[in-house]
Amino acid sequence: MHAQEEECAQPGADNLQAGDARPPEPDPAPQPTAGALPLDGVRVVDVGNFLAGPYAASIMGEFGAEVLKVEHPIAGDPMRRFGTATKRHDASLAWLSEARNKKSVTIDLRQKRGVELFVRLVTKSDVLVENFRPGTMEEWGLGWEVLHEANPGLVMLRVSGYGQTGPYRRRPGFAHIAHAIGGLSYLAGFPGETPVVPGTAPLGDYISSLYGVIGVMLALRHKEETGRGQIIDIGIYEAVFRQMDELAASYGLFGKVREREGAGSFVAVPHGHFRCQDGKWVAIACTTDKMFERFSEAMERPELASHLLYGEQRKRLAARDEVNAIVTEWVGARSRDDVMRLCVDKEVPVGKLNSIADIFEDEHFQARGNLATIEEEGLGPVVVPGVVPTLSETPGRIANLGPPLGNATYEVMRELLELTATEIAELRKHKIV
Amino acid sequence: MSETGEARLPLTGIRVIDVATVIAAPYCAALLGEFGAEVLKVEHPIGGDACRRFGTPTSRGDTLTWLSEARNKKSVTIDLHRREGVELFKRLVEQTDILCENFRPGTLEKWGVGWEVLRAINPGLIMLRVSGYGQSGPYKDRPGFARIAHAVGGLAYLAGMPKGTPVTPGSTTLGDYMSGLYGCIGVLLALRHKQKTGLGQYIDTALYESVFRCTDELAPAYAMYGTVRERHGPHIESGCPYGHFPTKDGKWVAIACTTDKMFNRLATAMGRPELASSSLYGEQKTRLENRSDVNEIVRDWCGSLTRDELLKRCNTHDAPAGPLNNIADIFGDRQFHSRRNLVAFDIGDQGETVIVPNVIPRLSETPGRIDSLGPALGEHTDEVLSSLLGLGEDELATLREKRVI
Repeated sequence: MHAQEEECAQPGADNLQAGDARPPEPDPAPQPTAGALPLDGVRVVDVGNFLAGPYAASIMGEFGAEVLKVEHPIAGDPMRRFGTATKRHDASLAWLSEARNKKSVTIDLRQKRGVELFVRLVTKSDVLVENFRPGTMEEWGLGWEVLHEANPGLVMLRVSGYGQTGPYRRRPGFAHIAHAIGGLSYLAGFPGETPVVPGTAPLGDYISSLYGVIGVMLALRHKEETGRGQIIDIGIYEAVFRQMDELAASYGLFGKVREREGAGSFVAVPHGHFRCQDGKWVAIACTTDKMFERFSEAMERPELASHLLYGEQRKRLAARDEVNAIVTEWVGARSRDDVMRLCVDKEVPVGKLNSIADIFEDEHFQARGNLATIEEEGLGPVVVPGVVPTLSETPGRIANLGPPLGNATYEVMRELLELTATEIAELRKHKIV
Repeated sequence: MSETGEARLPLTGIRVIDVATVIAAPYCAALLGEFGAEVLKVEHPIGGDACRRFGTPTSRGDTLTWLSEARNKKSVTIDLHRREGVELFKRLVEQTDILCENFRPGTLEKWGVGWEVLRAINPGLIMLRVSGYGQSGPYKDRPGFARIAHAVGGLAYLAGMPKGTPVTPGSTTLGDYMSGLYGCIGVLLALRHKQKTGLGQYIDTALYESVFRCTDELAPAYAMYGTVRERHGPHIESGCPYGHFPTKDGKWVAIACTTDKMFNRLATAMGRPELASSSLYGEQKTRLENRSDVNEIVRDWCGSLTRDELLKRCNTHDAPAGPLNNIADIFGDRQFHSRRNLVAFDIGDQGETVIVPNVIPRLSETPGRIDSLGPALGEHTDEVLSSLLGLGEDELATLREKRVI
């Protein structure tokens, strides 16, 4: 899951048969939900692969935009094969979840006629999302100049590993590499030991997509005022780097190089992960003296929060090991449920280190609708993360999961591009769509 | 606030009140400010936003995080525990488009400035509410911080060596930033809705769910197959070689061969193209079955070269590799400079230069701006209260004496 490069967009036949690309019938559009959504009437073409950028299109779809996922007629988005497979041969679980609300339109951008069709499609769209290696769209004759001339109001979101400029722009970029370049991976792990993946491999793809949506929303506003579109240019590495609080400022001013901190943090103590008697883990975050005071009460050792002992953050930071040892011992002598109960009673900032199994049992996730169950034909119920953020008047929606390859090709060619059935058949014959 | 004479920014003319603390909702306000909004940071007259004390202090007293993330904001002190303060606050909200807050749910209601009250004052108001657990659900009253959100949202469980202690996923504030980003998306969507209908709304964002939303197939895979993903140290389960490897000079590189083509390039960069043959490790399936052998080959190779030598070879062959940059590396990295990712500001009153991350995302026609770093506490109180609420010098003096402002 990464900003992808051109080769993967248009690979060989892979494990799909050409015939699979053909939808049996034109697929009806998702039914509009009650109440107008903020992006109703906005059309987005998403020609990206995997997640960095395409997730931005998914969010726009959740809030009303019509999202046309343009894919290679034979292989489609490689995301369809990424991660855990399902019984539906063209849909991995990640595809089903993150291509939500999209319609699939197949066009081969390596054929001249395909490029022409694509330009016509972009002309009828508001937003284009792409994440090829910089220069790839240009090689296909689909650079900004061409598209901007065809549609002066076009908003183009370009996500790539390193952005559209700079010495590394042509390098292949993946979130894993971006976490490393952006300074996040260096900080994950124990001091002096192997740096680990900061939780999940595609985190940077998600984060860059969030910036992408913000850029698109701002650009749409500008377009409505002026009629003019623009480019949003995001490097995954810089989206990651932007998350790094005071890292740059403290090196710049004090020459401080932050190192890996294991389960802790330089800002506060106790602030980390602790193992309970039953082998499960909790996170505790005493960011302020008040929080530590409450925690001392939860431990039934209020004297710890006195000025003589560890009442002040400064003193706790200086006595990090001693304080952590006290907490480790207290937590280690109790089950996770007991630790949670005692801490929650005293309003200590505490949380379970949830595995996904824990999350499915967590009443709060259920109450907030964070797990959405969608019935998918041929697969039964598929559980995916619900829409974030929650808007009170115009909540987002999941109208459908990741579509079958080419499920809207006919509809789009016929209705939007006004081709005849004969022309479409001819395009199919030449595998242009 | 400058109009640079270049393109008008997309949020010029929009006023935001940021009554939130530390990073989560305030980062949303900072983003809005970068793209033209006027952001009024409403703070308690004594001490102000806790972010001023979060992390490393400067000689001014305020921390570096404050200077960086309160960029472009104006500081207005109002004590919301006081009736007169609440009245002032309501009058400000009346003239505002967006309000950002991240108190524990119920706090603003306790002060008499909950959603219903504020909406009655200003029907077009957009209110961003960020909290640890959101405005609803059984845990809503619990205190929440990003560290807790990383744990509850399932991210922290996945960071660390297999069966070892789960570690901080790189940064303890990640979930704050991510919630700020989701919040900003919500606000911009709501602004669009308001333009069409004149009506405001509130956005309810929880730290933990911003984190959970970014966990790819974690939930669907558990629901369908009962798969509980565990920690994989520097590696992932679905690709090989994929991870962090030490180099001869004691530094680290990241390598990510998610496809056979990528491994082919790596094998070429290693000078051992035969490794990518179908009889050896040409296919992902074979590499995954022989994960430890493949990792060992790559680890040996990485250990035989300095980081710079290794990256040069990988880059020549387009193999996906990169340095695990620490912040000193980043300051020497040409890509960061070429992209202007680091920007320096003189803090006039201290004669110091502070370097902060520049605006992301980058827009071609309406790029964002940083006009100023985090303001001193109450720096703009008089200016804002006199220009927006028409308070005179005497009134301001009285309010100040009573510590309402």
